[in-house]
Amino acid sequence: MAVGLRLSSELVAGVVVGTILGWGFDRLLSTSPWGLIVLMLLGFVAGVINVMRSAGVGRTP
Amino acid sequence: MADPIHQFEIHKIFSLGHIGNQEIAFTNSSAYMFGAVALVSVLMIGGSAGRALIPSRFQSVAELSYEFVSGTVRSSIGEEGMKFFPFVFSLFMFILTANLIGIIPYTFTVTSHLIVAVALALMVFLTVFLYGLYKNGLSFFKLFVPHGIPIYILPLVTVIEVISFLSRPVSHSVRLFANMLAGHITLKVFAGFVTSLSALGAIGIFGAVLPLAMTTALTALELLVAFLQAYVFTILTCIYLNDALHPGH
Repeated sequence: MAVGLRLSSELVAGVVVGTILGWGFDRLLSTSPWGLIVLMLLGFVAGVINVMRSAGVGRTP
Repeated sequence: MADPIHQFEIHKIFSLGHIGNQEIAFTNSSAYMFGAVALVSVLMIGGSAGRALIPSRFQSVAELSYEFVSGTVRSSIGEEGMKFFPFVFSLFMFILTANLIGIIPYTFTVTSHLIVAVALALMVFLTVFLYGLYKNGLSFFKLFVPHGIPIYILPLVTVIEVISFLSRPVSHSVRLFANMLAGHITLKVFAGFVTSLSALGAIGIFGAVLPLAMTTALTALELLVAFLQAYVFTILTCIYLNDALHPGH
């Protein structure tokens, strides 16, 4: 359970931060909905990278 | 059946005053935090008071915890990371003590509240960010630009790295909070089965043996989780501090 929670929290954190950044970007520059779409997808990518790093798969920079 | 989340309720003990319309109260959470700090202080001050060559039991616990954390800091940051040792050691001892106090029945678990974990994780995050900027200047931002990447995808990778960096305090805090919350709820639910089954009469009492065994096993597991989460929090703090000291490799 500890490993599962660790990896899932990494993924969720990436998506949440990407979404918040996108939402804030849209609020500031009124580019809705493009900032949200793009940054949420990038957040998803960052989440997957976080999971891979924390699972020790792949190359760490 | 007993309410499994009743244990996480916050009660006001006394009021400290108001800021605007918001009451600032001394709660049971604050009381347990003071309790954890007091316990750590007693252990470390009392443990180091004797300074015997052959340590007493008390002194050996204090020495063991020092050795453990300093070993972690040295192996993941290196010798110059020892200037962060007081910070890392306080974090480890505070989280470990708070987690262990929480396992005792009828007590309150400080770290099972998201706001406490977030405060600790943000403290680490801001330390890393501000110290990294102070130590390395603008070259700290090389952390976000991995080398050996073709120039045409560099902007994309940089944005992803920034999001990945910003998501650190989120996952750092959610991990501690979720583990403590989930463990305590599971424990309470299984313990609740014991009382509600044994109310059914003779067959129920036989049936209640199973959840009782489960509760005992889960308590042992929780003891492990309490230590493990404190350790994971500490080692991640070390990894993040390592980025502040040596960015861009």
